[in-house]
Amino acid sequence: MAGVMIVEDDAALRELLKDSLEKRKYTVITAADGREALAKFRPSVVDLVITDLLMPEEDGLMVIMKIREIKPSTRMIAISGGGKAGPGSYLMMASKLGADHIISKPFLPSELVQKVKELLG
Amino acid sequence: MGTRKKSNPVENRDLKGTERHGADAQLSSLTGGIAHDLNTVLTTIYGYCELALESLSDSRENENYIRRIIAATDRAKTLTGQLLDLSRRATQEKVPVRVANVLADTIDFISPSLPKGIRINRRIRTPDASVMAAPVQLFRVFMNLTINAIQAMRAKGGTLTVTVDHAEPSDSPGETQKGSHVLIRFTDTGTGMDEETAAKIFRPFFTGGKEKGTGLGLTVVSDAVREMGGRISVISAPDAGTTFDLIIPDPFFGTIPEKN
Repeated sequence: MAGVMIVEDDAALRELLKDSLEKRKYTVITAADGREALAKFRPSVVDLVITDLLMPEEDGLMVIMKIREIKPSTRMIAISGGGKAGPGSYLMMASKLGADHIISKPFLPSELVQKVKELLG
Repeated sequence: MGTRKKSNPVENRDLKGTERHGADAQLSSLTGGIAHDLNTVLTTIYGYCELALESLSDSRENENYIRRIIAATDRAKTLTGQLLDLSRRATQEKVPVRVANVLADTIDFISPSLPKGIRINRRIRTPDASVMAAPVQLFRVFMNLTINAIQAMRAKGGTLTVTVDHAEPSDSPGETQKGSHVLIRFTDTGTGMDEETAAKIFRPFFTGGKEKGTGLGLTVVSDAVREMGGRISVISAPDAGTTFDLIIPDPFFGTIPEKN
């Protein structure tokens, strides 16, 4: 089954997304920030990355840019809960930097799972 | 590779370019931050409700309880939306903004993510040049232009040079006397584009066909600059890079701005 990486600094949400995807038989790797994501990405088989945008240490925009360089075929979904500049603002930047799909928090896991399924064919 | 704490330039503090650091800005920062964190918590609540519903066998009573949790979460989602609106309204108010400082915020924000081989140079000839704008809006304009430049230089590397200067009369023909406008110039050494493409880039949903994105970035930039009373133009050629010129009124030219 395809490998999915979840990059999210909120532990509860990270676990939820992991549970939701593992239930659909995806192999899931998790990371709490961009730095951990990049360290785990290289030795792993990851077909799709789901990344939050505003995180401590390396953030999601950096994750998107770096992974586009390391393995351009990786599919990517950016998720964001907004902030002072508005969720659309950060998600638009993520889209410009190469995210295949963007989702505003809050969302239902089924919405995310459906998108993962579509992107991985 | 640099690191960026969660308190990035536009998220948890006032933009440096803003002259006013009042209660409004603090409230805006606070509400934006709370809404962001709450949206993350709400996603978890929604998610486990959905998973629980999927796992229920025939317990009608439990299903009813879970649907009530979802309904309450819907109400909380509306509240976070209102908080974000409040935060956005506060940050969209036009205030005197020092261009060089918002540019510094933009470069600070993007620098940790800069791909290898790409550099950003600043030429600040008028450190006090200021415009009337919503700081976040000016930040978005600079971010969009910076990201475009990075994309154009990604394959071979290159340099983005951002110049801030007072506009000469020839830069804004027939409009104003010398110095009453600020010129902000983004010049990259990237792939550039032909005349036909350059003529279309400010149109909504035009993406150039190579990069991902909504195709709204430069339309948003152009609209924002127009809202500040300014205008934007582009000069480009294939393999010769691209230059975007923003010319925006500087109502404070010749005065001594309050230091922030």
